Amino acid sequence: MSPVNDLNRRAALKLLGGGLALSLTSCGKPAEEIVPYVDQPERVVPGVPLRFATTLDLSGYGRGAIVTSVEGRPIKIEGNPRHPASLGATDVFAEADVLGLYDPDRSKAVRGKANVESWEAFADALRAQMDKERARGGAGLRVVSGRVTSPTLARQRAGLLKEFPQARWISYEPVADTNEREGARLAFGRPLVALPRLKDASAVVAFDSDFLGPGPAQIVNARGFAQARSAASGAEQFLRLYAIESSTTATGANADHRLTSRPELIGNAVIAIAAYLAGETPPPLAGHAARFVEAAAADLKARQGRALVLVGPSQPPEIHALAHWINSALSAPVDLIEPVDDIDPNGLTSLAADIHSGAAETLIILDANPAYDTPPRLDLAAAIHKLPFSAHLSLHRNETAALCHWHLPLSHTLESWSDRRAIDGTASIVQPLIRPLYDTRTAHDVLAMLGGALTPSSYDIVRTTWAAQGGGDFENWWRKTLHDGVIAGTRSAPVATKPQRITVAARTPTQTMVLKVAPDPSVWDGRYANNAWLQECPKPLSKEVWGNSIVLAPADAGHLDCKDGDIAEIEVGGQRVQGPARIDYGQADGVIAISLGYGRSRAGAIGNEIGFNVYPLRTAGNPWLIDNVMLRKAGPARPVPTTQHHFQIEGEVDELLPLVSLVELAKGLDRKPFKDEPKPTFYPPYVYDTYAWAMVVDTAACIGCNACVVACQAENNVAVVGPEEIEAGRDMHWLRVDTYESGPGAMRGFQPVPCMQCEHAPCEPVCPVSASVHDSEGLNVQVYNRCVGTRFCQSNCPYKVRRFNWYGYNDGQEYKNLGAPSVTAQHNPNVTVRTRGVMEKCTYCVQRISAARRDAEKENRTIADGEVVTACQSACPTRAISFGNRNDPKAAVNKKRGETHHYELLGHLGTRPRTTYLARLTSPNTALKEGGE
Amino acid sequence: MPQIFRPSANTIARIILVALLVVPFLCIGLAYAVMRSPYTTGQDVTMRQPVPFSHEHHVGELGIDCRYCHTSVEKSAFAGLPPTKTCMTCHSQIFTNAAMLAPVRESLAEHKPIHWQRVHLLPGYVYFDHSIHIAKGVGCTTCHGAVDTMPLIKQTAPLTMGWCLDCHRNPAPHLRPPSEIFSTSWKPPADQFEQSRKLMAQYLIHTEHLTDCSVCHR
Repeated sequence: MSPVNDLNRRAALKLLGGGLALSLTSCGKPAEEIVPYVDQPERVVPGVPLRFATTLDLSGYGRGAIVTSVEGRPIKIEGNPRHPASLGATDVFAEADVLGLYDPDRSKAVRGKANVESWEAFADALRAQMDKERARGGAGLRVVSGRVTSPTLARQRAGLLKEFPQARWISYEPVADTNEREGARLAFGRPLVALPRLKDASAVVAFDSDFLGPGPAQIVNARGFAQARSAASGAEQFLRLYAIESSTTATGANADHRLTSRPELIGNAVIAIAAYLAGETPPPLAGHAARFVEAAAADLKARQGRALVLVGPSQPPEIHALAHWINSALSAPVDLIEPVDDIDPNGLTSLAADIHSGAAETLIILDANPAYDTPPRLDLAAAIHKLPFSAHLSLHRNETAALCHWHLPLSHTLESWSDRRAIDGTASIVQPLIRPLYDTRTAHDVLAMLGGALTPSSYDIVRTTWAAQGGGDFENWWRKTLHDGVIAGTRSAPVATKPQRITVAARTPTQTMVLKVAPDPSVWDGRYANNAWLQECPKPLSKEVWGNSIVLAPADAGHLDCKDGDIAEIEVGGQRVQGPARIDYGQADGVIAISLGYGRSRAGAIGNEIGFNVYPLRTAGNPWLIDNVMLRKAGPARPVPTTQHHFQIEGEVDELLPLVSLVELAKGLDRKPFKDEPKPTFYPPYVYDTYAWAMVVDTAACIGCNACVVACQAENNVAVVGPEEIEAGRDMHWLRVDTYESGPGAMRGFQPVPCMQCEHAPCEPVCPVSASVHDSEGLNVQVYNRCVGTRFCQSNCPYKVRRFNWYGYNDGQEYKNLGAPSVTAQHNPNVTVRTRGVMEKCTYCVQRISAARRDAEKENRTIADGEVVTACQSACPTRAISFGNRNDPKAAVNKKRGETHHYELLGHLGTRPRTTYLARLTSPNTALKEGGE
Repeated sequence: MPQIFRPSANTIARIILVALLVVPFLCIGLAYAVMRSPYTTGQDVTMRQPVPFSHEHHVGELGIDCRYCHTSVEKSAFAGLPPTKTCMTCHSQIFTNAAMLAPVRESLAEHKPIHWQRVHLLPGYVYFDHSIHIAKGVGCTTCHGAVDTMPLIKQTAPLTMGWCLDCHRNPAPHLRPPSEIFSTSWKPPADQFEQSRKLMAQYLIHTEHLTDCSVCHR
């Protein structure tokens, strides 16, 4: 934006003169060409989008997706209802993957130490090196990868290790479940993975477990959670969630009762629950914690068979083992499966030792970034640097690429053939939507090259893996599998086994500072750092964008005289990290929380030098909880940009986001905002005689995951504005998720706020140029071409859902590299790209309504219920959003509107919003005070 | 002391006074005239095309159906332009050496598409859809004119928003029965008024909502 702000008088006059001269001489329409195919592919109809099933990757696990492609360009990702880890919904990472495909910073060519090279040159160098390795059985060969769930990659790995028996393959993930696996090994004797069936649960206690937070299981957990908390399920069945946690998480924000506690005391609470269930005396706990745990234990016992406990990754293995015993004692709805991958927690340590000792000579890194995300004590970066032969396959020339001899460009998931397993073991094929944009290859190709192949084809490699399927009719099987997006019958069967109870001694509370590390809800472990949509996606609880912070409890901040935004410094074993502090009232005293994934130095134009990197503080031992941390204040305030105070609406919180207990719901709701008088109006009476579009958002189901926000951005060409503009309050998201607190540290809930499409819209009469108009189906339509940018509509909107293009965020003044041609290829051709000076807002995905209307009218019928699905609705993991025609009495949206706890946001203003809400339902335990503490 | 103003100054002053009233209106009129002129709308402008394709010959003389080349007109917003292969279905047999077809042969041989100049160009914020108009009884020649008489295609309608709205407000005079959509010889019958009422009912056209902004803009 700076070029405009920095203009001086002379430059402005020059530009003015030049502009005048150009505008006089450059009249006339630009010529446009139509370029038809030479030989049109059979099923391509120009202008009609195609949809293909594929699988997206998060930390190695697959989530099914259906990708929309227009004229060969994938533009939108949606969930695949057939896939068990997608269930038709998406998460933020899946939605943003399509932007990753078009990232201008992607690696485009093979690079040697100094120059751009070719794949052939790499193949030559590799062959010489592999001949050397073959002679000694691969004794010096090390392959590093992330989690391997791909059956094809596993098959290639087995082949490689057979050919090079002395070689080693190291799989590691920065976000690993090592404590969980170790705990299962203690309980069952083998590292089983527990998959909770939340939809069958009616009492859940989460011990520092953010099962509703980001991750490959988020969609499944969230769906089950919402199903178990539906108003129809009744007080006995309705899931009651207790959360004991040391920092604020999405799970705690959705809990009926939440207790803040230090991590070691959380472990003691698990021990206490086990004791209660076994009829023993529990270890002593502090006053309210004792009451909390007792009430939770009583509830678990009472709901035996429908109760379960979940323990977070930061708890030690013994506590996980104990939780397995508790779940077994409760006959909890949990499936135990064999893990679909094998991560060796000591792999990195032995790799570092091998390199330092000279035993390892050839290193192949497949889509991993150890130079950034491994503990610095291993000194892997220096080790890699001194290897005789190293090659790095990745989407970006990142921190690790800078250390290796060879950098190999990786094909994006949407350009590759591969396969993945979901968390429950279901395999599915990764199918490309587009031919690689650059000269890139997949991990399968590179592995085949290790085996000596010259021109590998990952299509053939993947097909070979599955060649035995289909009962003799492979081609038909393959076609159906690609179409469905899942491979039938590959789900892991649950293992029936009994855990043994291990005795765990309660720990005494300590006073030392501990650091709790968690994956970031926006950039995960750092791999999404260069994704502008994710960087600008307000984090679920803090609403921070473009950065991370050091989260402190108020007491700890008070000791240091540290205020919000002040720079704090953390020191662990000589490693120091500085970052802006943020005070969180839900944080346990003595616990610092930081999210991973920031402070990248070679992520790309978007992600470089955003936030600070906490990986240097991690150790290989317990990567999630770091003890003996020193904290000090290091500098004046430099806060992370946040959208917390943008677009605030005026009202009483009890009327904006009412909480309704099941007891109150059964009695009937006789209070505001549920009961309200109709208001008199000066507005003309509109007649909605065809469709009357309406949306109901169930705030009881909303877990605040942001999938809708990014889905809206992808569908509607919503611009990224960058951190400076966000700080100026110029966020462009059409849909925001408001977060409410009942008091300091007590999260009340989430409320997605799109345009309300008011029937009596305050924005309409104030527009001097009729750019904001009403249509016959009840939409408040914004006519960009008429808009002159007075912003009267924005100031008159009580819901604050209108967004103004202060600069050409999409037309010439894009943030960083977002104006690159490859990025514009993502744009939805059915939505106008807005220019500078124009107001915009949620349209209820009018392009989708229009497409459905045209389809219906071509067949001389009306649009059926469920035919129009808005982007936010489609993305929602909990199905919190319903959309449909209010004039259709049978429409799902009318059923929701008829619920007792249905209400209008700011309905007392008489705006008659079409977007309405269901109140947040709670099921508090009467034995405990409201809010848990 | 001589007079400052000569007698003719009175006339000049009167002219200026009149001009002050008239010139703004003239300017507005001029702007409107320019806006509606073929210079701006592109109406009746014949473009230079890589191959001088004659609709007069192919449609008028040979009677080839519109959909032989514009294959997606019933399915998609975009009517479709024929791939080179479509041209070569006939021209691999006839006029195989015609000089004017050299770019077509070259396109096929080198697998390089032909770059046609777009004749009917709507602004980017207009989301026109061919298929719905075809489905609702608007024939090709209603907007594209008598293509069967055009040696080189040109835009016969102004394609302004006012022109679109004329029909969206009152489509009746232009509606055809489904059998006549692709006919180049259709003329409104004498009883078009009665016919169109039947057609409006048959096609379920509700004109009261056809002028909503969201019908064409989004």
